[in-house]
Formats: sequence, structure tokens, C-alpha cells
Amino acid sequence: MELRYFILRRILVIIPTIIGLTILVFLIMWAIPFDQLIAPYIHQKGLSRAQATLVVEQQLGFYKNDPVLTYLFYLRDLFSGNWGIMFGSASPYNGPVINAIEIFLPNTIQLAIGAVIVSMAISIPVGTYIGSRPNSLGDQFGRVFSLAGYAMPGFWLAYLLIYLFAKNTGILLPVVPWGGNGLNGYYSSGHLVPWIPIQVNGHPVSDLTSYPTHVLLIDSLLNGNIYWFTKAVEYLILPVLTLTYGILAGLLRFIRAGMVDSINQEYVKTARAKGVPEKTIIKRHVRKNALIPTVTVLGLLVAGLLGGAVAVEFVFGYYGIGYLTVLSAEDLQVWAVMGTTIVFGIVLVIANLVVDVVYAYLDPRIRY
Amino acid sequence: MVDVDAFKTEIAPPRKIHPKVEEMKTTGKLFLTNKLALVGFTITSFYFILAILDAIYPQYLGVANDSTYLSWVPGGTPTTIQPSQLLSPSLTPAGGWMFILGTTFYNMPIFPAMLAALKFDLGYSLAIVMIGGGIGVVIGVISGYMGGIVDEVMMRVTDIFFSVPFLVLAIAFLFVFGHVLSSVVYALIIIWWPIYARLTRGQALSTKAMNYVESARAAGSSKLRNIFVHVLPNVLSPVYVQFSLDLGTIVLIFSTLDFLGIVNGNPNVPELGSLIVAQGNGLSWLIAGYWWPAIIPGIFLLIFTISINLMGDGLRDVLDPKLRR
Amino acid sequence: MFLTPNLGGKRLAEINKENIQVRVRVDNLRTRFFTSKGIVKAIDNLSLNLLEGETYGIVGESGSGKSVTATSIMDLIPDPPGRITRGSIFIDGFNILSGYDKHVRIIAKSETNVKFRRRKRLIRKHNYIISGIRGKKIAMVFQEPFLSLNPVLTIGEQIEEAILLHSRVSIANSIIRRETMARKDVEKFVEGILAQPDISTRKKMINRWVNEFGVPDIERSLNDLFENSTDDSFITEEAFALAEAEKTGINLDQIYTARGYFDLLDRLHETNLQLIEAEATGNEEAVQRFRDEEHELKSALFKEYFSYSIQRRFLKRVYEKPFKDVARRRAIELLDLVNIAGSERVLDSYPHELSGGMQQRSMIAMALSSNPRILIADEPTTSLDVTTQAQILELFKDISRESNMSILFITHDLAVVAEMCNRVGVMYGGNLVEEGTVSSMFKDAKHPYTTGLMNSIPRAERRFDKSQRLESIPGTVPNLITPPSGCRFHPRCKFKMDICSEKKPKLVEIEQGHKVACFLYSDEIEEEIPDDFYVVPKNEETEEKLFNEAEGVTQ
Ligand SMILES: Nc1ncnc2c1ncn2[C@@H]1O[C@H](COP(=O)(O)OP(=O)(O)OP(=O)(O)O)[C@@H](O)[C@H]1O
Ligand code: SF4
Ligand SMILES: [Mg+2]
Repeated sequence: MELRYFILRRILVIIPTIIGLTILVFLIMWAIPFDQLIAPYIHQKGLSRAQATLVVEQQLGFYKNDPVLTYLFYLRDLFSGNWGIMFGSASPYNGPVINAIEIFLPNTIQLAIGAVIVSMAISIPVGTYIGSRPNSLGDQFGRVFSLAGYAMPGFWLAYLLIYLFAKNTGILLPVVPWGGNGLNGYYSSGHLVPWIPIQVNGHPVSDLTSYPTHVLLIDSLLNGNIYWFTKAVEYLILPVLTLTYGILAGLLRFIRAGMVDSINQEYVKTARAKGVPEKTIIKRHVRKNALIPTVTVLGLLVAGLLGGAVAVEFVFGYYGIGYLTVLSAEDLQVWAVMGTTIVFGIVLVIANLVVDVVYAYLDPRIRY
Repeated sequence: MVDVDAFKTEIAPPRKIHPKVEEMKTTGKLFLTNKLALVGFTITSFYFILAILDAIYPQYLGVANDSTYLSWVPGGTPTTIQPSQLLSPSLTPAGGWMFILGTTFYNMPIFPAMLAALKFDLGYSLAIVMIGGGIGVVIGVISGYMGGIVDEVMMRVTDIFFSVPFLVLAIAFLFVFGHVLSSVVYALIIIWWPIYARLTRGQALSTKAMNYVESARAAGSSKLRNIFVHVLPNVLSPVYVQFSLDLGTIVLIFSTLDFLGIVNGNPNVPELGSLIVAQGNGLSWLIAGYWWPAIIPGIFLLIFTISINLMGDGLRDVLDPKLRR
Repeated sequence: MFLTPNLGGKRLAEINKENIQVRVRVDNLRTRFFTSKGIVKAIDNLSLNLLEGETYGIVGESGSGKSVTATSIMDLIPDPPGRITRGSIFIDGFNILSGYDKHVRIIAKSETNVKFRRRKRLIRKHNYIISGIRGKKIAMVFQEPFLSLNPVLTIGEQIEEAILLHSRVSIANSIIRRETMARKDVEKFVEGILAQPDISTRKKMINRWVNEFGVPDIERSLNDLFENSTDDSFITEEAFALAEAEKTGINLDQIYTARGYFDLLDRLHETNLQLIEAEATGNEEAVQRFRDEEHELKSALFKEYFSYSIQRRFLKRVYEKPFKDVARRRAIELLDLVNIAGSERVLDSYPHELSGGMQQRSMIAMALSSNPRILIADEPTTSLDVTTQAQILELFKDISRESNMSILFITHDLAVVAEMCNRVGVMYGGNLVEEGTVSSMFKDAKHPYTTGLMNSIPRAERRFDKSQRLESIPGTVPNLITPPSGCRFHPRCKFKMDICSEKKPKLVEIEQGHKVACFLYSDEIEEEIPDDFYVVPKNEETEEKLFNEAEGVTQ
């Protein structure tokens, strides 16, 4: 009951942040040279400069000399889904930006959720283990491991994994799909071609009949197509692993610190005085206290995760919003980049909201 | 100890040491006992020394300056980029010590290229942290000290900056400043100040409540003087920690941006990110089994970021009064 | 070469012959904290006995080592940085420090450069042994209730945990009795009650019976029944009907296996204690016998493990529910016992939702949950208001009178000591400087420090005014890293003599039951035994290597 009001209040609090976000993105757009704004329109229909200006003014309400009015129009466009177009020969998608985002965003969310789940599944037991044995060999190893996670650029880790796992180098598991056959066709300018090649309408080249969620993993199940399901899982493994490392490092470090801190608290002494066996003390008294504050860093880590997703998706040609951002930026698709920026912002704000609510739910000391 | 009268006259009165100096001495001592932090500090300094040396006397490192940077390419200075000149990188150090780590695109030796890249990476990163951090600290101290509406506005503004991943925001800002390497610096400065503003604001709030600031205020010292003489020096220690950690983070973001190919990097300016991506060949070479052009610069970068993180952690342990015992 | 700390001592078996009632015996206890500033000599050669049924008060200024003494007795010194480096502690005849020196070696190069070398396996064994003693035989109430309660578990969860840890077998028994209760049992009970004319004794008997038979819910109805009627066949009929209604028809097999399993666990622990005892006395035959017994128990446990523990893992709800229900019942009773109003609600609240007094009382309830025979109370009444304080003190008195519990009572408040304790020990700078019965101490304090304390007692009409405590002795408590030489009190002592700063006075009995450590009363000098874990000579390579391998504590 009370939690509901807490959630409501938190939602109200994020509204100014989101408005601020729109202002920020709008200001960026305002500062961008006008030629860049109209370029996709010129490219799309072969319009002249004056014609394209007219189109931008009328369709998007972007009047270069009237910021206030334009901002209001911009807000209207944001709500009505009129986010501009992306059009170019090197562009990953041709058409309205909002459609591109609709297709690409679910894949990134899938990636992020996968990475969060895997990293939690690893970091909780491992963090508990090393946190309860500070300065042991395992602990030293864990510290180095998490330090490296902080320090390692995501794209480089992706390279490393590709090198280790790609089939034709023959080093380790043959799990990645692009090993072996026709590899040379599969990369271009530093990144792999899209995850699974997309058609012009934004749908991957596969024999599914419909794409209700745009997430291959789910769509294939909905279609009852096991082959594409396994394919989707295969394609997910390396991107998820790469992204996992970054958050895993942060989580591990935080859980360890929490464990070490909590193991020295008075209530652990009380538990010992009751005669609770050491194992139970760690599991029941120490770990719970260490894990609850960990939820708060998840918010920060998700920000890093989304940033990391940009580079990782790019390297793997994974079909997500980071990939969309990078390719659009390379191709100077300004509307697409502005759209993805705002989407990243909103996703992050919502993620933080969820983290706050989960924290309030888990920690009995929070009064909401 | 045995008290001998004869000795007593010899003993000079203990020299008066300023408490600040005393404090710094103990800090330094504590830092030196932390071996990992010391290692981090040493390696980081080494990197900086290399970068400085390279900036002043590039020829000593076998690294020519910008305009003629490709001079070490075997067979002279290529003026145009011709894909046909891309040779398979090789590990043979036939051309001398410069070739010890193999070659990359244009048959360019990796080792001196990495050293040359360091100058840009560290220089830019230092500039971003100093300028962005400086702006952030000033804004943070002022808003923390003033409180009220100024503070509220500052908090909301930083909230907005925190609500977008840095990398994405940087990509968006690049549209404003143009897609060249130097505009990354402007973009990152704009993005970086809120971190410091937040950090110093919190510190300033707690410092403000302390006795000596109160009494200075009561004594009629002016606001500005108060902020910069009494509050500012006391909020800096977490800033140092953040500063050192950010030097690493920014190098990472910087090289990521370059790696993504969003900035139209001058091919004459090697940068660690662009070295890893090797003019778009890193991945294909990697898959074909030529690992060194992509992996070696990465390791070089990793060593730097790890050691700077070690140093930052060590600093935190030393400067944080809670951890200091 | 490094020496190992000497933890030997007389076996309690020998001591028992002289004095049968010693519950806790502390011999030459020495506790050190190895910090980066130096070694804190928190406890120096402290010896004391806690007798059966007595309340022993420890008083002394803040920082004199009272809490460290208490935590040492529980073996709860935070490690690192602390260690007990010498001495022995017998709890009900078992030396909890036997073998303590084996699993950790302390190697010191200098005061600030100390390392511990640990042996994991032995530590695990020690933890197993000690965790079966703590809570069950000896319980402790800590100084700061708010910090001492786990913030993310409800009070109920924490109390129930303590109950379930040590009382599984008795819970299982009460469930079995309840379910298999026959008319015969009720008849016998009713007869017994009717034979007893005294009302309050009756009530106590009823209370005992309902708990034994696991039907606490009908206690009130039974009381009413016995009050309102004297017709014994009617009462039997009614009581039987009441008890019958309490039966839940639970699957008893499961309870039997549970009882078997936990009984084995308890016995294994008991055997282990005896084995260690036997090993320490060097009784070969007994060692062999206990080894065999341990082996047998272990193999039996192994079998039970499959039949019970694994099943329980999968059917946790089903297996735990009957036990949890009983534990909850008992937790409510305990909270009622310590005068918490609305005990059901308190059980479901988190520590931060309670007032300081309620937290403190919950702590006391938790400590009492498994009927320990020894209780250590570290300033249990500091956060309570005057009336509650009086109630709690009354409670302690009642319990110690009824169940003959021994209490080690630590406090600042001499008024409380006068009211509660049989004997008092005065601590100063990690030493016991005076010890005696309450009356002799208050009438005739000997040690200059104690007289100082006594003079600072507030007058009777203001006895609970806390701001008035123990403050009139000039000077401050010594720094225990570099404690004063000789008598620790000499820098503050009015009667200081030359010898005082050179030699340490010994705690000697100067009157019947009254001991003092002061040169004013006796010339006996205590040999100051230097810490014997010290210094690795630089030239011995192996030791140097050992030192380098050992785990550092002081960085
Ligand atoms: N964890 C620790 N690390 C270092 N020194 C400690 C530690 N715990 C206790 N000490 C030292 O041991 C000495 C005795 O402390 P103790 O807590 O027993 O005092 P006390 O008599 O209980 O005081 P109070 O009345 O304030 O509770 C103090 O000098 C203290 O500094
Ligand atoms: S021994 Fe000496 S210094 Fe110590 S209390 Fe007695 S008289 Fe005072
Ligand atoms: Mg205490």
C-alpha cells in the first residue's frame, strides 16, 4: 500500500529530469548546423536545400530563428512519434527514426537484462565467497579480476573474445556463428555486419512470418521456430558475456566491500554469541546486509552498461540501439542520433526508478 | 631509555612543523606502505614521462612529430593512403628495435606508434579532467555553499547530465562541434563537470557546517573569500581521487570514440583506439589470426588504466578519513 | 624462533574437587589488539571465578577493559585485530581455549608489525566447538542494542533463530507429546495439580505442563478451569477435550526423524567436547573411547543426513513449519517475560522500528531464549528509563534465583551493583585491582582507585542520576598501548610510593573473600611476564619466510 505511494512519488520526481533531458537534447539540436539537420531529407528525395528546409520546418516545426516555438513543437513531435527520418546509403535503416528505435531498442534491452542477470548470478556467490575470506588467495584474484574489468575497454574485450572463440582460429569453443564459413564476407570497417542481416523493412532475414516484439529470441518462440531460437541464443552469447564483465567487476567489488564491512558489525557478534554456525552467519546475517546496498550501485552500473552496449553492439554487429547510434553517427544521421540519445536517457531514468523501488522494497529501513 | 644529563643539552628543540605539512607527511607515508598503489603510481608516472618526452623530443623515442610521423615506415614516407600498401603485419624485428612488437597498417611499427599515441591520449585526458573538473569544482563549491535555489538548480542540471550515458552524450555533442578529434575534448569537458560538481557540493555542505567556517563568517569575511579560502581547500581530497580515476576513464572513452570511427581521425595522429581498430582492419586481421595489431595496443592501454585505478584506490584509502586508521 | 603463547593451566577437573560450583573460571587471561599504532594491552593477566547462581559485577571507568573481558569469555574478540594471547577460560569445566594457540600463530617483528599465521582446518574445528557452547551454555547481552541487532531481520526472526538453534530436540519432544497425549497423561496431571493447594505453585505447574506437552495455547483455559471447579472427573474431561483440540494430526514420522537427527548432532558435539577434554588430560583410554564414539555418531549422522537433511532441503516449508510455530510461541512468551507490550507486533517489526528500551529488552529475550546457565550482561540497562531499568533488574534477579543462573554483570553504575550483585570486581587499565563481596566493598573499600569510585557515588536520593557517575578521580584512563609501568594506577594515585612505578602489585586476598592489588596492603609483586610471541630474528631465514607468508594485519 505504502510502496505504491512511494512509486507514485518517485515517478513524479523523474518528470522534471525528463523535461530537462528534452531541453538538453533540444539545445544540442539547436546548436547543430542547419545543413546537417536537413541532409537526410535532401538525401531521401533529392530535394533542393530550400525545399528541404521547408519540409523540416513544416513537418517537424523546426524554425531555426525561434527557439521557444521550436521547443514546443519538438515536445509535440516527441509525443506524437514524429522523430524525423534517417536516410542514407550507409545508414542501418531507412525510414522514420521512431520505427528504427522500435525495432532496435528491444534488442538492447534484451542484451542489458541478459548481462545483468548473468553478472548477478556470478557475482553474488563469488562475492560472498571472497568477501567472507578477505585477503585470501581467491580474494586477491577476485580483486585483480574486478580491477581489470574496470580498466578494460569493452570493445577490446570483444575483440579478445572473438579471437579466443571464433571457429577458424580454432582456439576454444566453436560457439560463435561466424567462424568457419565465409568469414571474410562478414565484417566491414572494424565491425561485423548486422547481427542477422536486416531487410529494408527492418526485419531480420529469417524464415519467421511475423516479428511482434522485434526480439528474435522471443519471436522465434512465438512462431514455434526452434532453429531460429537456437540461432538467437548463439548470437547472444558473446555480446552478453562481454557486457557482463563490466558490471560483474563493479558488483563484485561492491559486494566484497559490503561483506567485509558487514562482517565486522556488532550484529554479527550477536549472531555468534547465539551460537549460529559460521556458514549460516555468512549466508543469513552478513550476505543479506551486503546485498541490499548493492542494489543502489546497480543504477550506476546500468548507466555504464548502456554506454558499454554502444561499443559492444558495434563490434558484434548486434542489432541494438547502440549499433543504430554509432552507424547513424558515422553517417551523420542527426535525427537518429538525437532520437537515440533521448531514448537512452529515458531508459536510464526508468532503470534508476526501478532500482530505487526495488531498494525500497528490499531494505526495511527505508521509510517510504 | 636511559637519561643522561650530558645528552640533554645537545638535543635541539623539535622543529615546528606546519600541521598541513605534517598531515601531508603521514599521507605520503601511508601511501608508500600500500604496495599496489605504489606500483600503480610508478607505472602511471612512467606513462606520463613517456608522453612528455615524446611531446618534447619525439626523435629520442623513434617517434617523429605529427607532420612526418610516418617517417619510420619502411621505404620512406607514404603521402597517400593506398590500400595496396597494406601489408600483412609481421612480428619480425627486421627493421630494428622499433619493430619489436610487429607492425600494423602501412606496415607501420606498433611500438613507436603506441608511444606517439600516448601523447594525445594522456594530453587530451589531462586537459578534459583539469578543465571539466575545475569548472565542476567551482560550481559545486559555490552551489553547496550558497544552498537554496542555486543549489537546487545545479542539482537538477547535473541530474540531467547523469541521465544519459557519457558515450552517447558525447556522440550527440560531436554533431555540434564537428567530427574531429579535438572536438571530443570540448564535448567531454561539457559532459564531465557535473561529476565534480556533485562531489564537491556534498563536501562543501558538510564543511560549511564546521566551526571554523562559521566563525569566519561571523567575523565578517566575505562570501567569496569564505568559499575559496575556507571551504575549497577542505573539499579537495575526494576530488583528487576522482581526478586520478577519471584520467583512466577518459582515456577509455576517448579511445572508444576513436575506435567507433565517429571522429574522422587524422590518420597522421595515432591514437590507441584507432590503433586497435587498425584503420578498420583490426577485426578481420584478428579473425584471420593476426592478433597483434589489435591486442598489443589494447594491453598497453589496459596496463595504464589498471595502474591508474590502483593508484586511485590507494589514494582513496589514504585520503578517506573513514578508512584511515 | 618464536614461542607459542602459553595457554596451559590446571584442568578444571582438579579444581572442581576444591570448589564444585565454579561456572566460569578465567585464569591469567591476556588479550591484545594489534593495531597500526601499536599493541593495545587491553587485558593483562586477569583471573576471576563466576560461581553458580551468583551475580558478579564488574565496574570500572570507560576503557578499562570490561567489555573486552566479557567478549573474551565468549571468545568473540574481533580477530583481526584482537587475539587472546594467554590464559584459559573454563566454561562449565571445558577450556574453550584449549588448542586455541595451535590454530593461530602470532609472529611479531615489532609492535606495529605483527602477522598472524592461521590454520584453516583447526579454526573450523574451533568454530564448531565454540558455536555449540555459545548461546546454549553461555549467553551475552551486548552494550549497544541498536548496533547489535541485525537491521534486515525482524526481531522475531532473530529470536526464533536462537531458539531453533539449540532447542530442536525439546521442541520435537513437545510436539510428539502433544500428538500422542493419552487420557492417562491428563489424569495424572490433573491429580498432581489438585494435590497442590497453593494457587501460584499451581499456575507454575500448569505452565510447565503446557510447555512440556506443547499446548501453550490452552494455559489460560486450564487456569480458569482449575479456579472454577474442583470436581476432578469434570476437570479431566474438560482438560482432555481442550488438549485434544490442540492436536494437529501432523505426520509424526517426520518429527521423529528430525528429533533423531538433531539429537545425534547434539551428542556429536558433546562427544567432541569430551574428546578434547580427554586429549588435554592425556587420558589415552578415554581418548580412544571418545574417538570411537565420535566415529560411530558420524556414520549414523551420515545416514540420517540422507533421510532427513536432504529431504528437508527440498521440502523446507513442510519440515520447518511445526518447529517454527513452536519457536514463535516461545518467542512471544520470552517477549512477555521481558515486559514488552504487544509482543506479537514487536516480533514482526524490524529493529529500527523499536525504541532503544525495546531493542534492549529484545536482546535480553534473545539471550534468555535457550535457558543458558550463564549470562553475561554488558551494561544491559544503560538505554532504559528508570522504571524499565528497575523492572529488568528485577527480572535478572528472578531468573538468577529461580533457575540458578550465574550472571556476569558489567556496569558503570555502582548503585545498580549494590542492588544486584553478590560480588564485585573493580577493573583498571586491563587489570582487576580489587575484588570482594558487595558489602565488604561498599563498607570497606581498600584500593585507592576503588575508594575514589566510592566517593563518587551519588547520594541515595539521586542514585539514578547518570551524569553523576565515577567522575571525581583526577586524570584520565591510561593509554593501553603504552600503559604506565608498575601499578597502572600510579600516575593518578594519591598514595603513590616509589615501588609503585617500578613493580606491579599482585592481587592478594587480604581478608576473607576480599582481594586487593596495591602495595599499601601487601608487598607481593606480580611477575610481569613479557608477551612471548615476539620478534623474528633477522638471520633465521625460515622464520623470515614464515613471517612473509603469514597474513598481515597491521597494514
Ligand atoms: N577492536 C578494538 N581494536 C583496538 N582496541 C580495542 C578494540 N576494542 C577495544 N579496544 C581497546 O580495549 C580497551 C578496553 O575497551 P573496553 O571496550 O573493554 O572498555 P569498557 O571498559 O567496556 O568501556 P565502556 O565502559 O566505555 O564500555 C580500550 O582501550 C579500547 O581502546
Ligand atoms: S600500588 Fe601504589 S600507585 Fe598503585 S594504587 Fe596502590 S598505592 Fe596507589
Ligand atoms: Mg564496554
